[in-house]
Amino acid sequence: MTTTGPPPREVVRSAPRRASNRPLSPVRDDLYQADAYGRELLTSLMRAQAGVSLAVLLPAITLLAIYPLLAVLVPRLANFEVLGLPLTLIILGGGIYPPLVLLGYWYVRRAERLEQRFVELLKEK
Amino acid sequence: MTEPATIAAIAVVTVITAIISARGIRIARTPADFMVAARQVPSFLNASAISGEYLSAASFLGIAGLAMLEGLGALWYAVGYAAGYLVLLVAVAAPLRRFGAYTIPDFAEGRLESAQLRRAATGIVLVICGFYLLPQLKGAGLTLQVAFGGPEWIGVVVLGIIVTLGIASGGMKGITLVQAFQYWLKITALAIPALFLVMVLHHPPIGSISGAAPHTFHQRTTIEFPQSEELTVTRSVVVDAVGQLDGTTLDGPVTVATGTHTVHAGTTLIFPAGSSAPRVHDSPSLTAQEWTSPLLHLGGEPNHPLAATYGILLATVLGAMGLPHILVRFYTNKDGQAARRTTAFVLLLLGCFYVLPAVFAVLGRLEAPGLYVSGQTDSVVLVLPRLAATGFLGAALGALVAAGAFAAFLSTSSGLLISMAGALSHDIMGRGVRAFRLSAIVIGVVMTGLGIFVAGISINVLVGWAFAIAASTFCPLLLLGIWWRRLTWIGALGGLILGGSASSIAVILTMVGVGKTGWPAVLLGEPAIWTVPLAFLAMVFLSLATPRALPLDVTQKLLALHLPERVRPPAPRRPELSPDWASQPPEGIPARATRT
Repeated sequence: MTTTGPPPREVVRSAPRRASNRPLSPVRDDLYQADAYGRELLTSLMRAQAGVSLAVLLPAITLLAIYPLLAVLVPRLANFEVLGLPLTLIILGGGIYPPLVLLGYWYVRRAERLEQRFVELLKEK
Repeated sequence: MTEPATIAAIAVVTVITAIISARGIRIARTPADFMVAARQVPSFLNASAISGEYLSAASFLGIAGLAMLEGLGALWYAVGYAAGYLVLLVAVAAPLRRFGAYTIPDFAEGRLESAQLRRAATGIVLVICGFYLLPQLKGAGLTLQVAFGGPEWIGVVVLGIIVTLGIASGGMKGITLVQAFQYWLKITALAIPALFLVMVLHHPPIGSISGAAPHTFHQRTTIEFPQSEELTVTRSVVVDAVGQLDGTTLDGPVTVATGTHTVHAGTTLIFPAGSSAPRVHDSPSLTAQEWTSPLLHLGGEPNHPLAATYGILLATVLGAMGLPHILVRFYTNKDGQAARRTTAFVLLLLGCFYVLPAVFAVLGRLEAPGLYVSGQTDSVVLVLPRLAATGFLGAALGALVAAGAFAAFLSTSSGLLISMAGALSHDIMGRGVRAFRLSAIVIGVVMTGLGIFVAGISINVLVGWAFAIAASTFCPLLLLGIWWRRLTWIGALGGLILGGSASSIAVILTMVGVGKTGWPAVLLGEPAIWTVPLAFLAMVFLSLATPRALPLDVTQKLLALHLPERVRPPAPRRPELSPDWASQPPEGIPARATRT
């Protein structure tokens, strides 16, 4: 994929894409080779991304799973009231959504930063 | 009184949908145009569109109705429908967009290189969308019934015809703008009446919901019985009856003694204020504590509630990623990061929406106990505004809710029918405009026919089954396909067949009435709790047993899934795209259909 010497002449039909303005990174080509090093890079990227995902999923699963479990262990929970409203209504009728949305927001930021770092890593080499 | 306003509101929704669709078609004339447009769709608009297509009859009518009937534990459906997007966000959204597959069969074929797998995926698309389409039709039946009376099948047929003709004529494409409009219409149509009801209704304080049994009519209450019911009267009461009670034709006041009575279909009973509501024979009658318990009561019975709750959570959370008509929308994101932002916005929009069904469920229990008696709790959202206000205001609120409900059926069922017709014509009937139109008509007719027969099943339960099947098939395919290098097409095919048939059989057995109590009711009624692990295990072990079936360029495929766009080669490889892909416009309608 890497070209050596002058690039071949070509008819310009549209504005060049930004990606092709950058010099090709040799490391990026490594990624596309089926050798052990390319696989290693890919695996580490996937691992890092899966790590971020799990860091969001585990608290989310806990959040969802714990309230039904508590209700079975402590049946009186159903009678519990906060500000005159049943606790179940407060949690399932709205209270559970803000933490889920925040987890989602946090994931988007972490995942974008991770990819930024990966791109910089490829550029450095 | 409310009928003209409701007719007008439903007509306006349909016409606006058609107009925006027609404009949208002019904008997105060719696939290339669509791609350009897609790059300009901001994440928030796109998220509105996804939410618009996602919020179906189940969310608009079903959750409130089921929570009113079976207790607040039914709100777990809403939580699961929303939380599913968190899983979709962290595990599927960005890689699927980067891979460039447009439908799930495209993904299956592109990732694992098997035409057989593609055909199996197509079959499952038809099953899931079919199960999902039935409750939409039922919802339409209910809406028209509440507004105009008459049997439920009329609305089923009306929606079936509108959607089928709309899709077959190419005039109702799932354009982003239409779906986004539908989301905002739906949330407005619930939020305004909800605010009004909370402020205006002189209901007993909400706190009293955990106190005494609420089954008392606070005011003179008219109950219409569209189906025959058996009532148990606990205290003898004088009612105004029009119709048949215990085989006698009545028209005027009659004393109903304590005991069991049969009310025939089409009868109207008017209970005086302060009388206690009769119990319905096969309908649950929950105590206040059972009603506020955060556990799912299947059919209103405390039957292994923890397993049932986890079952429905598993189905809804994992099923959301496997809905064919939704995944199509992710393709209109610019890149993987945009897909993530869109999904996060969807989570926010859904979280805002799902507060509203809870409000209606609580108000319904306090204000409309008549619905328990007539077995029509699914219509609580439609009925409450009419109970609370009279005259112009009542008509306006009733029309607004009916319009929102109709928007819900229109958007979801057109998305579903497009997915089904696209799958059927692309993989089975042969390509081209005529095959697509023919497919749309065949599916429309078959589904409308089936829709007439599901009247007795709760909307939300039907949708829950569609999610259970999606969670047992496409969820493992997507998760393992994206994150596990060693998945083979044989493993994926085995998992799809095993998970799909196990969950479908369980659902069909429940539909015909097998297993009403104990563990069978839970395991057949909420099959996800065992069919999802079954499908995952089948895929993993079959794949490990068939390493030779691994695609040769599996590394390339994983790169296509996970590599950020910025570090891809200038000319990205798209090994996943089948050669004819470029001629397939994104909404599943052959390119020529849009060019006329």
